Amino acid sequence: MDFFKKTLDPVIALSAIAVLDIFLFLVVGAWTVGGGETMMTGLFAEAVMGEEQLARIPFWSLVFKPDASYWKIYISLGMLFGAFVGAVLSNEFYLRFPRRLSEWVLITIGGLLMGVGIRLAFVCNVSTFFGLTPEMNLGGYLSISGIIAGAWVGSMIYKKILEG
Amino acid sequence: MESAIGECLVAFVFGSVVGLLVQRSRFCNTAALRDAILFKTFRNTKALLVAMMILTIGFTTFLTFGEGNPMHFDVGLNQVIGLFLFGIGMVLAGACTVSTWVKTGEGNVGALWALLFTFIGMFLFSLLWSANYWPPAAGSMTGEPNLEALQLGYSNAATLQEKFGIPAVVFGMVQTLVLYAIYRAIRRKEMAQQTHHDELAAQHAAE
Repeated sequence: MDFFKKTLDPVIALSAIAVLDIFLFLVVGAWTVGGGETMMTGLFAEAVMGEEQLARIPFWSLVFKPDASYWKIYISLGMLFGAFVGAVLSNEFYLRFPRRLSEWVLITIGGLLMGVGIRLAFVCNVSTFFGLTPEMNLGGYLSISGIIAGAWVGSMIYKKILEG
Repeated sequence: MESAIGECLVAFVFGSVVGLLVQRSRFCNTAALRDAILFKTFRNTKALLVAMMILTIGFTTFLTFGEGNPMHFDVGLNQVIGLFLFGIGMVLAGACTVSTWVKTGEGNVGALWALLFTFIGMFLFSLLWSANYWPPAAGSMTGEPNLEALQLGYSNAATLQEKFGIPAVVFGMVQTLVLYAIYRAIRRKEMAQQTHHDELAAQHAAE
């Protein structure tokens, strides 16, 4: 099947995703990832710390009360599943590890910044580009200005590292 | 949709199709910004813009008729700072929220590591939030500006329609035109790059 042999044009892929996102917007809400990830964090923390201990941290009772039936979790799990199926059927699944220690360090810092940033903003990049901004929510424009500035700073740091 | 199981099922099917399409197209939101800034290549940026144009028309059309489930919360300075940190983080990690899941599905352990530390970052922020309660939780949002808390309130295409009496889709069309103008500017830049490249190739061939 050609679909699993050739790389799909991203314009076609994203157009199809946009149409599906409109359907999702009508049924439950626009595509988002950060909310589901936060709920998963809460569920993991609850499993490790116990319900009582976690309830002592106000964030997990006032902002995100751990709930496994939160629909946004399943978007992320679906993406993992869909990508796995695509990778297996196109013979592109194999274990890849960062080779250098510096890569591990950058990924660690990057991951932490993404986690803190998502929670501080209440939104992630997906909600910014595929939810808030198309809804013309003021938060979309604020988020876009932040992410472009951040990507520029990140790119300059990345360039320094590449040159160094 | 009222059933939680139904919502989760719809979300999972949606996510599965998205995961498959992103995996097959190699789309990456990080690359859409990083490559445009660093390498002046726009493969992912164009796809992002096309999706935003379709979504803007789709969402604002339904908002015009009071349909759909728009995100509803107050916004403010925290969006700018939060996404600024996120933007740095995604470039350093080489992946955003979508590509961490998709690359993990392809067997990329670095992406799984980024995902793990995204969760840790979220947990660390939950401790910080519990110490200062900023930005305000959904329960204390009013929809109105609250400058003390650096919040500007809530507004989208539907509130613009309510305020000005102009259908939301009209605002959506204006935004789509702006996005299209950016898309066209990128296409012109690409064509200029291609012409320059062809000229250089012709010169080399002549030599």
